[in-house]
Amino acid sequence: MSSDACRISLEQFEGPLDLLLYLIKRDELDIREVPMARVASQYLDYIREAEELDLDIASEYLVMAATLASIKSRALLPSRSVEVEEDPGRALMRQLVLYRAFKEVAAELRESEEIWRNAFPSAGERERWVTDAPRTTSPGEVTLLDLIEAMDSLSAVPEEPVQKYRRPELKISECIEMISTRLRHGRGTSFRDLVGATLDRRIIVAFFITLLELSRQGLVTFTQPVPFGELVLVRSEGWV
Amino acid sequence: MLDVTARIVEGLLFASDRPLSLDEICDLTGSGPETVTGALERIQAALEEEGHAMILQEAAGSWRMVTDPGVGSSVAQLFEDRRPGRLSRAAVEALAVIAYNQPCTRAAIEAIRGVNCDSALKSLLERGLIRISGRQETPGRPLTYSTTEGFLNYFGLNDIDHLPRKREIEELIGSGGDGEGDAPSETDLFGS
Repeated sequence: MSSDACRISLEQFEGPLDLLLYLIKRDELDIREVPMARVASQYLDYIREAEELDLDIASEYLVMAATLASIKSRALLPSRSVEVEEDPGRALMRQLVLYRAFKEVAAELRESEEIWRNAFPSAGERERWVTDAPRTTSPGEVTLLDLIEAMDSLSAVPEEPVQKYRRPELKISECIEMISTRLRHGRGTSFRDLVGATLDRRIIVAFFITLLELSRQGLVTFTQPVPFGELVLVRSEGWV
Repeated sequence: MLDVTARIVEGLLFASDRPLSLDEICDLTGSGPETVTGALERIQAALEEEGHAMILQEAAGSWRMVTDPGVGSSVAQLFEDRRPGRLSRAAVEALAVIAYNQPCTRAAIEAIRGVNCDSALKSLLERGLIRISGRQETPGRPLTYSTTEGFLNYFGLNDIDHLPRKREIEELIGSGGDGEGDAPSETDLFGS
């Protein structure tokens, strides 16, 4: 890819189709017989270049890049006689032909615009000119568009607010209470028994923190009857 | 020297704050369509003959008197700050798709152009070049857009059939369509 081509920024294109048309026109290719694989490579180079320059690439360009990559890979595979789907290259070609036609008539409209926007109408008509400057709307002066936007924003709100509920919290003091009861008669217990079958992470964490604290204060000790076995939790003499 | 009817028609067109249709001019002058058409032709001939800076423009089936685009750049100085700007490329392209394909959903426009066109549609609506003409009876009931009389005036077109390369584009839409270009069953939202 020539370096001058890279310098052209994506901003001057009206989207991926416009960029493709530019590449096709630049190489003076016939749109109906474009070597899609070749154009695809150039397009992908272009996008990669833009990525390296850390440009913000609109998602439409990336979608097209994916389409082109699939067209390219398909072109490399031996063609099968029975094609169920339409060749994506052909579909893209048709899209390009249609878009190019609209681009051309848009250019013709542009010429008419240039002529007639230079024909100035009567003062009365000029009063209805819409300038591009941000409009301030006085009360009561709303357009149909404003109404529809307002309506859409209303319907976007879910009809019933999502119900929130708080799960009961487990306090450290409650954990101490429960551990104390469990260890009352000098019997040991394991962490697994203590926590029970719960899957609630917060309960597990609460008990774990509580045990760390109790052990730090020397109120509980751990014994391990079997190597690599489960730790057994025992109440210390000091815990009254 | 213009005849009385032509002078009245010229006065009406000069002073009117909107384009006047043939019917309206007939009513206002109490003359038949042939008389008015003749008067319009004589006014046009007289303006041309003497090289006046005023011309008659026929657009959207109506007539109005405007300054000749030839002196436009000079006249434009009077309104530089409040004259509407040129349409963006995106807006003209979206407008072209709607014009040849109306009524037309936003999805159909985006399918042809391959890019989002929200802001283009917004500016076209604000400038009164397109209008919301209904909803398409497909899932989501998307809004459909059509061009307005203001569109014809803006581009100096007499009617939608005078769009450049009308037939050719329609054939392309018909053959290239993956269903997008098909005329949707439209419901008239506002009972116009």
